[in-house]
Amino acid sequence: MRFEERVVPTIKIGDCLLVPIQIDLDDRTVEQLQAQLLAEIQEKRVRAIILDVRMVDVIDSYISYTLSETAAMARLMGCQAVICGIQPAVALTLAQMGIELRNLMVARDLEHALALV
Amino acid sequence: MEKSQLGILVEELGTSDYERKLWQKLLQEATSGAEASELRERLREPLLELLKELGEGSFGTKLQLVSKKLKEFPTVDILPLVLELCGELRQEKEQALQEFQQMLSELATPVIRIWTDVLLVPLVGGLDSDRAQGMVERLLERASSTRAKVVIVDVSGVPMIDTAAGGFLIEMFSAVKLLGADVILTGLKPEVAHTLVKLGIDFQMVVIARDLEDALRRAIAMLEEEKRQQQKIARVWGGGFLGEGEESDEV
Amino acid sequence: MEGERDKRGLMDIQEEDFDVVVRISREDDIAIARQMAKQLAQEAGFSLADVTKIATAVSELARNIYRYAQTGVIMIRKQYQETNNPTVQVVAVDRGPGIEDLDLALRRGYTTHERSLGIGLSGVKRLMDSFEIASKVGVGTTVVVEKRRRKF
Repeated sequence: MRFEERVVPTIKIGDCLLVPIQIDLDDRTVEQLQAQLLAEIQEKRVRAIILDVRMVDVIDSYISYTLSETAAMARLMGCQAVICGIQPAVALTLAQMGIELRNLMVARDLEHALALV
Repeated sequence: MEKSQLGILVEELGTSDYERKLWQKLLQEATSGAEASELRERLREPLLELLKELGEGSFGTKLQLVSKKLKEFPTVDILPLVLELCGELRQEKEQALQEFQQMLSELATPVIRIWTDVLLVPLVGGLDSDRAQGMVERLLERASSTRAKVVIVDVSGVPMIDTAAGGFLIEMFSAVKLLGADVILTGLKPEVAHTLVKLGIDFQMVVIARDLEDALRRAIAMLEEEKRQQQKIARVWGGGFLGEGEESDEV
Repeated sequence: MEGERDKRGLMDIQEEDFDVVVRISREDDIAIARQMAKQLAQEAGFSLADVTKIATAVSELARNIYRYAQTGVIMIRKQYQETNNPTVQVVAVDRGPGIEDLDLALRRGYTTHERSLGIGLSGVKRLMDSFEIASKVGVGTTVVVEKRRRKF
């Protein structure tokens, strides 16, 4: 994958791909992120992707839908997906809207995420 | 002559030295013949202090007495100021009350670190108020900042759980789980359990313990389990790093 | 306040009465509207959780405009009622196709879009304290939502 197509820099640790999302997610970037991650899963043959969303202030229904969708696609490629570091206010908002992050495992932090996969 | 008349009135009005001093000041200023705008400024402080000291009712009675005995006292001019000050005092009181309520709500729903990585929230009272929302926000902040692994929610102090309160609890549990912590629910009384099932709420998403002791035991078991998992991972990872240069897919 | 709005009707809201007006016509405008809402709610002293809820609700409303009507307006204002408990009001107006069956549109899981959970409108309703919607096929849709600042 060409550098300019990557919206989020990723780090490969062992056979896990760490994805620290440091940008404000909007509709376009979350779609680009999906494409990027699928390409990287294939290229790097990772066993799991770990989405770190500590810096993300808003996760609305479309962003959560796209993340769940990405996880489902990853699963079909033999790769697990974990989300970690959800902010308390974001967690409360998702819960109140009744959104479940389907196909994604939830972890407290990176350490917990690595233990889950 | 006038001075002593004023003095007699002050004696009659005041029940303490402090109050007499205030009346003295008020009456002197009020009858000094100052300009209306300046009078306002000068009367403000003694009036406010007297209102605080006596309360609105008792101050009113005494003001009546003053206006009867002291003909030159500008009662009508002073009244708007008195009303204004009453309003200010009430606002002050309301604010103090609000702060007190806030403190009370924090005291009423503490978040207790009962064990390493385990938080306990004993819920008390109704669950459909602003207070309950504030409590959830505090719990989530705390769970997130301390990276709590298990949150025990004790609802034995909640008198009734209806659909709204049930929905509130489900939201709270989902939010805690989104932080990556597990939830153990305890303290459901027979009548509450009865209502919940009738309402179709079963709390499948959480572990339920029969009492606080059971909840703590389960929480500790969960911690142990996670530690075992982590040790296993550490071994696998250690092996992986030792065998550097080999195909990493072997790990 | 309430009566005044009823008289004028939901379809006749004046832009100049609002603190922030964001025109939605591109995908980027969704993020802009969200950012503005967040800032306003922060200024009004809302808790971080409530700021996030308001920002998320605005995000959903803006996306609905972009998706179904292509263009429209998000208007946001702070309102101070008699007690010192401010309210944030968000109004979303479009001149899009309108919604045929409002009850259906508000139902959780209902969607006409292929990439959606159908949670948008019902989610907004859950996040906010009050929710009003008016829609006419061929004329457009107006959504008015409010959230008041909690006492504690």
